[in-house]
Amino acid sequence: MVSNSTHRASRNLLLAIATDIHFWIPLGVLLGGLALLDKVR
Amino acid sequence: MNPIPANAANVSTPVSASRLRSLQAVGIFSGFAAGAWLGGAEAPIKLVSPSISPITVSLIMVLGVFLARWSVPAFIRGTAHVGNDVRQAPHLIVWAVLAGCMWAVANTLTIYAIRNVGLSIAFPLWNTNSLLGIFWGFLLFNELHYAGWKRWLGVIGGALCMFAGATMLAIASSHQAAPGKATLGILAALGAGALWGTMYIPYRKAYLTGMNPLSFITFFTVGEVLTMSLLAIGYRGAFPLWHELVSARAVLFWLMLGGFVWVVGDLFQQYATKYVGISRGIPLSNTNQLWGLLWGILVFHELQGASRSVYTQVAGGSILMALGALAISLSSATQREHSSWQDAAQREGTRYGVEREYVRAGMEGRAHHEIDKRRSPLDWALIIGTTALFVILAFAAKTPSVGFSTAWAVALAIAMLTLMVTCGIALWRVTKFL
Repeated sequence: MVSNSTHRASRNLLLAIATDIHFWIPLGVLLGGLALLDKVR
Repeated sequence: MNPIPANAANVSTPVSASRLRSLQAVGIFSGFAAGAWLGGAEAPIKLVSPSISPITVSLIMVLGVFLARWSVPAFIRGTAHVGNDVRQAPHLIVWAVLAGCMWAVANTLTIYAIRNVGLSIAFPLWNTNSLLGIFWGFLLFNELHYAGWKRWLGVIGGALCMFAGATMLAIASSHQAAPGKATLGILAALGAGALWGTMYIPYRKAYLTGMNPLSFITFFTVGEVLTMSLLAIGYRGAFPLWHELVSARAVLFWLMLGGFVWVVGDLFQQYATKYVGISRGIPLSNTNQLWGLLWGILVFHELQGASRSVYTQVAGGSILMALGALAISLSSATQREHSSWQDAAQREGTRYGVEREYVRAGMEGRAHHEIDKRRSPLDWALIIGTTALFVILAFAAKTPSVGFSTAWAVALAIAMLTLMVTCGIALWRVTKFL
């Protein structure tokens, strides 16, 4: 019972983050930064 | 998404004018204290021989940062508060780790930027982070909304003024000519600016939803140390890196001390971001360049024998930076602007199902509910373990052969400590470090 509700809460949390445009902006910049780092090193 | 808990007050009820004034004042003070400590963090690093690879220097500093980011919160409030914050807003762990990863990549990019185009070009380019911070603050978190043209002028004009001052100081303090690979160096510096400027999105997100800076940094540093370790292992190789770390044991203390000092500055920067937003907090923290220059000129005699035009540039750049910081510090948020921040906070709380009273209490710098203030065995282990490690490293450290002025070092250290104590007292009185 507890494990089910924990599982549901985690899923809700991940869904809230995944549908938040604010999350994708820094993630996109981070990935771009890593690609750039690979070029300049 | 979670339903909104119905047992609490509306986040959008305006904060009283006197409370808002106190929060803004302590936020601006924190921005200036951050500048002093972030700038001072450069001093121990200057004592280290340049023969160690920049990636390894960065990794050792980050290890010092990691220790400080766990032991300082344990000392100030205890880790029980961290647990409470995580229970209230667990999504912020993801945001904090993401921000930490961004910091580590940006910091590594600056190493390559300096190597390829020199500090004079690289520093102003990555200093554009504050302009990007203002943009994200306005676009995503309602900062500067209903601020009026005078405050707009103060913040934007101040940030531009500081940018111009930073450019002059960087040119004056640079001893490097720009070698080849210029385009890559410029891209690296701009990339670092973009990463640091965008890193403030997670910061603001955390503080709008009521998280305490002391809790945020404990998860931030997990992202930081993981990314930096992966980059160092990936670029140097595990065994060569290990050998370099072992052979650098005589300077581990200085580098980790630099990391520790940096954390104190960053903590003030986090409080500035929390109480005055990223559009004001970040440019104020960027006064670190002035402090770095003070350490360079007064303690390490960096501009000795320089031409008159160099000194003119230093004086002009410093005045511009100081004027810019003054303009921003005089443009604190009005009650109407603060209400629009509260709207953004309510939006965040609703999205992530954070209790409204927790969000509101966080924005007002007051406790949501009382937590046991006693330190746990974990807190004492963190405090004693970190102290013991620094003492051991200090005994193993070699006295630097770099010439420096002890009198000026003591004077600047006293100035930094005075700022830390007075700002710490102000934060305690107004927010109890919330």
